[in-house]
Amino acid sequence: MLLEATDIHKTFQEGRETVHVLNGVTLSLARGEIVSLEGPSGSGKTTLLSIIGCILTPTSGRVVIEQHGVNAQHQGELARVRRQYIGFVFQQFNLFPALTALENIEYALNIKGVKGVAAQREAERVLVAVGLAERLHFLPRDLSGGQKQRVAVARALAGNSPLILADEPTANLDSVTGGQVLEMFRALAKQENRGLLIVTHDPKVRAVADRVLKIEDGRLI
Amino acid sequence: MVDLARKNLLHDKLRFVITVSGVAFAVTLIFVQIGLFGGLLDNASVTIDHLDADIWVTSSKTPNIDFAHLFPETSVQRVRSVPGVARADNLIVSFMFISLPNGARENIEVYALEDFSRWHFPWNVVQGNLDDLRRGRYFFLDESAARRFGPFAVGEYREVLDYRLKIIGTTREALSFTTTPIGFMDYRIAQTLLGREWVGRTTYIVAKLAPGADVAAAKAEIQRRLPHNDVYTTAEWSRQSRSYWVESTGIGFNMFMTVLLGGLVGIVIVAQTLYTSTMEHIKEFGTVKAIGGSNADIYKILAEQAVISAVVGYALGLIPAFALVPAMAKGGLKLVITPELMLVVFVGTVAMCLLAAMVSFRKVATIDPALVFRG
Repeated sequence: MLLEATDIHKTFQEGRETVHVLNGVTLSLARGEIVSLEGPSGSGKTTLLSIIGCILTPTSGRVVIEQHGVNAQHQGELARVRRQYIGFVFQQFNLFPALTALENIEYALNIKGVKGVAAQREAERVLVAVGLAERLHFLPRDLSGGQKQRVAVARALAGNSPLILADEPTANLDSVTGGQVLEMFRALAKQENRGLLIVTHDPKVRAVADRVLKIEDGRLI
Repeated sequence: MVDLARKNLLHDKLRFVITVSGVAFAVTLIFVQIGLFGGLLDNASVTIDHLDADIWVTSSKTPNIDFAHLFPETSVQRVRSVPGVARADNLIVSFMFISLPNGARENIEVYALEDFSRWHFPWNVVQGNLDDLRRGRYFFLDESAARRFGPFAVGEYREVLDYRLKIIGTTREALSFTTTPIGFMDYRIAQTLLGREWVGRTTYIVAKLAPGADVAAAKAEIQRRLPHNDVYTTAEWSRQSRSYWVESTGIGFNMFMTVLLGGLVGIVIVAQTLYTSTMEHIKEFGTVKAIGGSNADIYKILAEQAVISAVVGYALGLIPAFALVPAMAKGGLKLVITPELMLVVFVGTVAMCLLAAMVSFRKVATIDPALVFRG
């Protein structure tokens, strides 16, 4: 199994009040599998994504990625897991405005420890894969919303991270572009045998997902 | 390796220009302040450094070359008899009143020797023959006096301590810390002008050692023979004359404060622009963390941006500083920019900018990578 999250609880302190955001969530994801996680605002889906992505630590519960238990107490360990196993796609794309499409991906690869020509070749490969062979040296400001999201998808795929986590990847795209991005995303995830967890409000995501999970009040239903 | 630091810095060109302008301003300010102070300190010892002597004998506790006290001129005989001393002469340094054509009275600082030529002093003679000073009531005057006393020419007369003396030569670069113009006259003429109190008395003895003579040994022997005087090597006396102004007056502290303020201006400007830039790029830094980057990766970005700002700002600050050298010289001020000073200011500028970047380090350390999920 690529990902196993077991009995995840997360509480936040808001003043004197303790807010239970996640109440014992358990889920798993296999390589090559695409799972859609749906839920209303405040249901805890982004918090769950953050915990699985080793950005937040759970109050209790256990996350295992590729048979490696994540030690949530150590920030350095969390960063290492993110570098080695996880690729992110964000709702706002989160590209570096000063870097070209190619450089955005190269930089992410540099962070993962891939440098020089190897990073450049891998960046070119994934950009070609997402259909941006003609836009390698464009700055994000010169790309359309769909093209920016393609760069973001390419960045997540670069470096062979087995687990891709996407947060509302179509929220800032029109429906046609969103559909195209999802189709491309699905094809690449299947082709490269990556596990893909998509947090979304968008019903179109169901069409590309192998499995749909629903979360409400911090519980999977 | 993609250079995110450089690309981010240059991406916002206006901000970059503001940052390096701030650094350049601070650098120019520091160069001008230290350079002018260095020029003044140069003046404080320029005569000591150019007079061809190895050892200086002063009266006890003389603080610097300008504030001389009297002692018997016969002491020079004891110095001449010390093994290793090739020659020794009395030197009078004293302020004297000079009457100007407009009726005003000003001060000149007079250096008086029996034979200027053998001490290669003054070192930069523009007009006249130094040997002529021994022939009568004549004196040389440094060109810098024109600024204070008005134009003058060789062949003109001036009243010095109410004695009419003819200007028979001019010099260049003979300046004092007090900016009082310097004149040169014969030793006996100076004693005559200065009056009865000066008969048979001098202010310094200068000594030249024979080639190969042990300076320390000669100095110790002179000190033994003249226990009521102070004896210095030229380097020691030069250093003391300089340090007097730094340590015993407010000038050193004043310079230190100005340089400190210049540095603070630079730090504040760089810190403010880097911090604002950090805040504007906070989501990007969050992304760096989210994709696996560490605080150290972001510190490196900020440090590199600080160093680039320092290097560019330093180069831009150095240009006006150098351009000011001839402009200052026209105003009678000496701006000294040595390679050592350039190195020290460069290191200081880089340190200043790194210090400024540290303000942003704290902010970066607390970045929550989860902010990448916020809209």
